[in-house]
Amino acid sequence: MSRTLQWIAIVVVAALAALPFLPGAVDAYYFSFLFFVFLYAIMAQSWNLVAGYGGQISLGSHAFFGLGAYTTAILWTGNYLWGSLYDSHPDIYYFDPVTMALGGLVAGIAAVIIGLPLLSKLRGDYFALGTLGFGEIVKVLFVNGGDFTGSAFGIVAPASSFDTLRPHYWVALALMVATALAIRALMRSRYGLALIAVRDDEMAASANGIDVLKVKVAAFAGSAFIAGVAGSLYTYYIFHVGPDSVFDLDWMLLPLMMTVVGGTGTLLGPILGALVMYAVFDLARIVVPDYHPVISGLTIILAMLFLPKGLTRLGALRRLNAGRS
Amino acid sequence: MIKLPPPDILFQLSLNGALGGAMYGVAAVGLSLIFGTMRLIFLAQGAMIILAAYFVRALFYGLGIDPFLSLLIVVPVGLVVGWLIYQGLFRKAAAEEDRNVSLLIAVGLMFLVQNLMTVIWGGNTAGVVTSYTATGIEILGVRTSFTRCMGFLIALAGTGLVMLFLRRTLVGKAVRAASEDIDAATLMGISPHRVNAIAFAIGISLAGAAGVAVATTFPFNPFAGFIFSLKALVALALGGIGNVAGALAGGILLGLIEAYVQFFISGGWTNAIAYGVFLLVLMFKPEGLFSRPYKKA
Amino acid sequence: MANRLLEVSDLEVAYGDVGALWGVSLHVDPGTIVALVGANGAGKTTLLRTVSGLLKPKGGDIRLSGQSLVGKAPQEIARMGIAHVPEGRGLFRQMTVLENLELGAFQPKARPRTKELLDKAYTLFPRLKERAHQKAGSLSGGEQQMLAIARATMSEPSLLILDEPSLGLSPLVVQQMFALIQTLHSQGVTILLVEQNIHQALKVADYAFVLQTGSLAMQGTGADLIADPEIQKAYMGVLE
Repeated sequence: MSRTLQWIAIVVVAALAALPFLPGAVDAYYFSFLFFVFLYAIMAQSWNLVAGYGGQISLGSHAFFGLGAYTTAILWTGNYLWGSLYDSHPDIYYFDPVTMALGGLVAGIAAVIIGLPLLSKLRGDYFALGTLGFGEIVKVLFVNGGDFTGSAFGIVAPASSFDTLRPHYWVALALMVATALAIRALMRSRYGLALIAVRDDEMAASANGIDVLKVKVAAFAGSAFIAGVAGSLYTYYIFHVGPDSVFDLDWMLLPLMMTVVGGTGTLLGPILGALVMYAVFDLARIVVPDYHPVISGLTIILAMLFLPKGLTRLGALRRLNAGRS
Repeated sequence: MIKLPPPDILFQLSLNGALGGAMYGVAAVGLSLIFGTMRLIFLAQGAMIILAAYFVRALFYGLGIDPFLSLLIVVPVGLVVGWLIYQGLFRKAAAEEDRNVSLLIAVGLMFLVQNLMTVIWGGNTAGVVTSYTATGIEILGVRTSFTRCMGFLIALAGTGLVMLFLRRTLVGKAVRAASEDIDAATLMGISPHRVNAIAFAIGISLAGAAGVAVATTFPFNPFAGFIFSLKALVALALGGIGNVAGALAGGILLGLIEAYVQFFISGGWTNAIAYGVFLLVLMFKPEGLFSRPYKKA
Repeated sequence: MANRLLEVSDLEVAYGDVGALWGVSLHVDPGTIVALVGANGAGKTTLLRTVSGLLKPKGGDIRLSGQSLVGKAPQEIARMGIAHVPEGRGLFRQMTVLENLELGAFQPKARPRTKELLDKAYTLFPRLKERAHQKAGSLSGGEQQMLAIARATMSEPSLLILDEPSLGLSPLVVQQMFALIQTLHSQGVTILLVEQNIHQALKVADYAFVLQTGSLAMQGTGADLIADPEIQKAYMGVLE
């Protein structure tokens, strides 16, 4: 990433962080709009890690998102962590970093458990299908989870904790930036090099002493962790976690599309893609409310027909982004 | 302890399961052709089937055309639509050999079709009721529905025709050759675009036929397409990629599994068990349960 | 000069950033057998794949009877009269011998005469007739090679390209292979042959080109090159 781009990024992030201090900002429409852009950007970056940098197309990220969401909801309402403290302070779990981290961890562990058999036996398309199947299985498991998971209805979290959308905004922004920085650091490390080597030529990588399976599973688990944390964040927004909402395929498909439109295997791609795609969808919802669902499908098709390499590879952005790919 | 029900109940269960599963099979045959030639998992197949179902419904309620008769319209239209979809949407991506792009276009198409159907016909469940949709018939002393049998016959006929095409016609052989080794096929003068377009045309026309079967057998809604695609994928995995008869058999097997799970465990678990079987087959017998080990150079 | 069937000029081919051929020129006169020899990795297969259109060159020209082939798709080039038997034979293993042969005559100009061409092929390769309904993958190595060549003749090509036909075959079968090549030659078929078995290749060739790490090292008639001491030392294990 060139110097110019780095400075632009810092300025933009600072501006975004300062936004909530503007009078009337919190209630403005663009506030929740940005929150969702950040949320989707986090999911997009998660997918980009395993699929863009790792070369493993995963179609199961919605399962990890849901796992994180449910973990958070269960810990919260079951007051497992802080015990009796919860009765007097039900919002002790609200935006509690430990709970959020656990959400990510559960997702990450699930990824390791399912990733080991899948990645050792399946390649490419078959792996993608395997993750798709896995995602659907997880959903059914949660629907049939009885009281523990709230069955088909789900779990309701204490909405009394909700005050303003500010913490959501800041946490989402912070997570998005943190994820970007973490991925950047990761890809510059020896692990990152190994990941790209495995993506480009597995046989050559293994001949060079790289433990291919370990590298792949690590990427899969890391991606799941990020998705789990994102799910946790979503729980704090929606306050009602149900199988239809948090295991919705859209949580996997939309970030996937956003990454591809933005540019797979790049640092900015997922974020840019999230911004552009979400803007298009939202605009469609306002401008053509009756037809807006059609716009999403149309957009993807048009994007793939005319911009298959993604936005970041386009002209000016390419010059700015020179280097990491 | 699972108590085994009397044999005639078991038979009825199996029959209905198998007949219903044939619909997954026919969807799987289309997927098999498209995957064979383009190595693309056409996730929009289920959506196309539901689209066909809505179309059949519109023909019936709008023009009074009997659903089974509308096969004469739906299948040719499917051929044309499939050919057009390839030329318009997938041709360029196929040329660049970028499989991710093709996959995403298929996903985009799925969204588009799904949402288009919601916009045009609403998101609620729809169905087709004719004079015979409630008719039951007896086979070997067991009751099943007339439309389910017809659906099975449609699946059988469709699969049979495709197999004839692939085995007996030179163009069909070209499609098989291209599925096995596209480079060698081009050296024979076979055009990959031609072969891909044909695979798509047949695939979508099969979706049309499946749509007729679906429309007359059970109620449907715009979002049922995706589950259908997934089930077709399971059927494909069970049958073995590249094996047309196997795809149909895989579908029937899946239908049987679903019927049994629904009866002995519960309806909520049918999907999970189906996907579980899918994962197991993918991991341990990727060439499918019905084909001999696939020799690939 | 104008009579050349195939004319390759200053061909440059690269795999991504890695160069494979650096300005190679060769030619094939009609009715002759031309051999392209060299060590593994010299670029022989790359050159053949570029001629038949499976690879696109970075620079240079390829002309078949004066018409340029560069930029054309492989199926177009096949229809112009080139039949390429690739390394590894490129057979459709899951399909029968008969089906493979039928596909060999897929082109519009050959298709109507498939029956006649099939009879011709069976006369030349009687063993294939016996195995007509067997899957190609179940044939022995030698039979598979026969099938691959027979399939190529089904399109009545003006140029037959053979990439390593003797690969993986026993010495006896290799002899039969080269006898076959001679027979085809005597029937007027023009052949471009890539071979690791230099001795056999030079014996049967009218003219030959020697490729070394992507460039042309030597050329000459088959007889001249066999006798050449450099060749003998480098490729045929002759000491001193």
